[in-house]
Amino acid sequence: MTDTALLPKPSTQPGFGPVLEPSQRTDVRAKTVSAGRRRTDKVATIALWCAVLAAVVPLGAVITVLVAKGFGVVNWHFLTSDIPSVTGQTTAACRDITPAFRAKYGINCSPPAPGMGPAIVGTLISTGLAAALAIPIGILGAVYCNEIGVRTRLASAIRFFADVMIGVPSIVMGMFIYTAWVVRFGTNGRSAFAAALALACLMLPIVLRSAEEMLRLVPDELRHANLALGGRPSQGVIRVVLPAALPGLISGSLLAVARAAGETAPVLFTIGVTLSLNTSPFGENTTLAQQIFSGAKSGLPLANQLAWGAAFTLVAIVFGLSALARFVASRSSKVQKG
Amino acid sequence: MQNIPRKSRSQLRRFGVGIVLAGLVVTAGACGSSGSTKTSDSKNAASTTAASGSSNAFDPAKFKDITATLKGSGSTFQQNYNLGAINVLEKALPNLKISYGGGGSGQGKSDLADGVVDFAGSDSLIKPENLSKYKSTVLYFPTVVAPITVSYDLDGVTGLKLDGPALAKIFSGKVTTWNDASIKALNPSAKLPADPITVCHRADASGTTTNFSKFLVAAGGTDWTLGSSDTIDWPTGTQGAQGNGGVAACIAKKSGAIGYVDFADAKAQKLTFASIKNASGSFVEASLKGASAAAAAAAVKDDLTYDPINATGADVYPITSPTWVLVSSTQKDANVAKGLGAFLTFLLTDGQDSSFTDSLDYAPIPKALATKALAQVDKIKAS
Amino acid sequence: MTTVRTPSPSVLPAHRTDGRNRARSGRRLDRAFSGLTLTAGLTILATLVGVVLATATFAWPAFRAGGIGFFTGTTWSSQTNTFGALPMIYGTVVTAVIAIILAVPASLGVALFLTEVCPRRLRGPIVALIDLLAAIPSVVFGLVGVLAFHNVFQTVFRAITGPKANGSSLLTAGIILAFMIIPIITSIPREGIATVPGHHREASYALGATRWEVLRTAILPAGSGGITGAVMLGLGRALGETIAVALVVGSAIQITPDITQPGTTMAEIIANRFNGEGMGIERNALMGLGVVLFMITIAVNVAARVVVNRAQRRNAGT
Repeated sequence: MTDTALLPKPSTQPGFGPVLEPSQRTDVRAKTVSAGRRRTDKVATIALWCAVLAAVVPLGAVITVLVAKGFGVVNWHFLTSDIPSVTGQTTAACRDITPAFRAKYGINCSPPAPGMGPAIVGTLISTGLAAALAIPIGILGAVYCNEIGVRTRLASAIRFFADVMIGVPSIVMGMFIYTAWVVRFGTNGRSAFAAALALACLMLPIVLRSAEEMLRLVPDELRHANLALGGRPSQGVIRVVLPAALPGLISGSLLAVARAAGETAPVLFTIGVTLSLNTSPFGENTTLAQQIFSGAKSGLPLANQLAWGAAFTLVAIVFGLSALARFVASRSSKVQKG
Repeated sequence: MQNIPRKSRSQLRRFGVGIVLAGLVVTAGACGSSGSTKTSDSKNAASTTAASGSSNAFDPAKFKDITATLKGSGSTFQQNYNLGAINVLEKALPNLKISYGGGGSGQGKSDLADGVVDFAGSDSLIKPENLSKYKSTVLYFPTVVAPITVSYDLDGVTGLKLDGPALAKIFSGKVTTWNDASIKALNPSAKLPADPITVCHRADASGTTTNFSKFLVAAGGTDWTLGSSDTIDWPTGTQGAQGNGGVAACIAKKSGAIGYVDFADAKAQKLTFASIKNASGSFVEASLKGASAAAAAAAVKDDLTYDPINATGADVYPITSPTWVLVSSTQKDANVAKGLGAFLTFLLTDGQDSSFTDSLDYAPIPKALATKALAQVDKIKAS
Repeated sequence: MTTVRTPSPSVLPAHRTDGRNRARSGRRLDRAFSGLTLTAGLTILATLVGVVLATATFAWPAFRAGGIGFFTGTTWSSQTNTFGALPMIYGTVVTAVIAIILAVPASLGVALFLTEVCPRRLRGPIVALIDLLAAIPSVVFGLVGVLAFHNVFQTVFRAITGPKANGSSLLTAGIILAFMIIPIITSIPREGIATVPGHHREASYALGATRWEVLRTAILPAGSGGITGAVMLGLGRALGETIAVALVVGSAIQITPDITQPGTTMAEIIANRFNGEGMGIERNALMGLGVVLFMITIAVNVAARVVVNRAQRRNAGT
């Protein structure tokens, strides 16, 4: 899906932007400004503030609600335990089961405690695999477009189709992997690996395009220097260009991973479901996003609680990855400036 | 990655072996009601089931050496029961792992046809035209019965009474406000507001929808013209939700809403439900007793399908849903075949313990049916 | 661009002695490396071709059976096997348009605020915050929409339009989508506006223009390309969003002018029905919806990309 906000951009350029601090601008209270213009300016300023409020208040509300509902759910037990099966069975109803039956099956009627361990592991496995598939291919593809096949028709075709692919709705990727992969493997078809394939299809063009932007920032002088010193073009790429672009490549890839970790639609048809830990890329699995979706659909308090906890965890993971990406990018821009 | 495009020519259609499943059109209510029901809260009978020694007790020792992972999906109507049963069974057989994903009866059936699950939960039968999509004969294992409640959210109105025609009018959008004459006539003393009615229904393909609409076909008369199916072409002004839990949430969130929800979800989300007029003319509130009565009154076909919808009998709750676990008779993997045997044996023996099913808000199926279903477990063979 | 990355000396090729063996192995290395990158590039092409072929082939029976009726029919029924996509197309367009109408002024306001009004010290943190918000997964917006905001929306809608209004509706979906795309739409005009050369501003202020006049005459025209592109990228995102919409739109296949009523979108019905009873033709038809959605979002995205690129080139040229 499109998300240019996630594509790393050249860091804020100090040469541009407003040159005047607000205090240095035309003083609207000055006598030279007519009342009408003054009023317009005032209205416009108020409108601007309203717009900012209209954007910030709901987004702030989303975060507040998430923290208020999710933070209390998350603890060590939540992060490490299996997902309880939400049956709506009350403790009182459970106690009505005959003692013989309860003894035979060791039913103790303790209320199920929220847990999300398997979904956290499933998210890490599926996104990890997707990253392992998409990042090398994406970066190598970007190298082709920007270093090897520069200005060839194939390179611009790849670039164009990557842009097209960024626009493919994620649910379509899910359907694609379901029909092309999952049904071929029967009961072994739904797995973290199948989900990773769908996620990799989403990540691939994003990684490629962001990597290309980063490679483009590497000045040609470096490539020329490499050639002048007798280096092969491939050596130039491996020893000069890629290291120079490394921080950008890392931060772009991290953002793509963060993006994939939160995707639900491609996972919907491809991963199946499990409530207990599955550390294998094969066999049914589950992700945080999937658990949030199923918990949000239900009206049962425990299901909702699970969803809030999972959402808080997922957002924490995604923010962590984004912050890491930003940190890497900012270090690289410091290096540049230095 | 590189493999995907080459695999892309895949088609979902599979032309499996021709399958013969006789008599899918089930007629209900034709047979006389036996009225006298046994199951609903006979704890004494139940404890004999659980105690060892009874022929109907589940013996974990017999299945201890089975190591298998079973995958299931489908009906959310039976989801609470399945999850409860799986919880219990996995304690007794730690090497048997079972997952059940929900998704609606439609998903269960299509997943089974695609071969991506080992068993499916469904409250409706496979459409005859879809039979060819399954690789081998599909066996129906009835597990439990439960009422489909007609739940609503209306301030200050409890004990609402509704009949087939009134429901048909509400759910087909002919009646749009709560104080309509057709509702008033059935509830002369209720204080019905002039608020608009919001109908909550299933958005996914659902056996609950099939069974509820089957009741409207049977009891709604000419007021119901939308037929019966896993998905209905609902009139405008309605709202869809995913799963029984979703419909329950939909109703709970809206004053003026009405919808059909399985008993377990309706109770868990503390919904108010209406009494429904049954074929014998009495208004019955949704209860497990009423569901058991309906199940006992229905005729069972050779393939163990039966239809308790609108069965006759004074205690019968008319919108009682059957539900089945669907399994292919031929299994590729011997361990999976054995695992399915263990799972189904549990569901049909100790899983029928009425104190256990009660705790999850389901009623066991009639004993005779459970015995027949248990005998059918042997038909699951590894190829 | 403006900054130049200097690799640390250690990564520069060392002053190695050259020899014929090295040259030969170097050529081989070159060829192998080019081959590798070419394969990677082709993989992307192949994946996209695979997606297009697989989905289009799968959907073909539905297109053939439905003909033009597939796009214009208003009935979507697995009971009668008639599949008309108009209600989904309608819902998709309406929710996306609502989202754009709500999100554009707010995002534009934020972008202008950040570049023109906001003190420089505050700018960094606010930009970081908004970029973080862009990273929140859509399912989380759906969760908040359905569990926390639903009742608020319903109360407000009912207060305005009467008791029939529903908290799960096209309008709700549009609002939630707006939340999601605000951070996205904000980022690009911000770039565009930030690259408006400083002397444009200075000249306007020097002529005695008020802040509003500077924005209107100097900043907005220069940033308009970027703004249009950003809006279209936001639109593309809103059109294709699945999960957040599935949770809040109310999942009813109907065309109603009343946006406080439930509706459906193409992505929403795929999520709900793809694994459904209609194993045959309905699945083909759902894939067909996917293909239509795919085409629409691609058209919007490509157009957006063209507009953004042109704007960037023009700004770079000034």
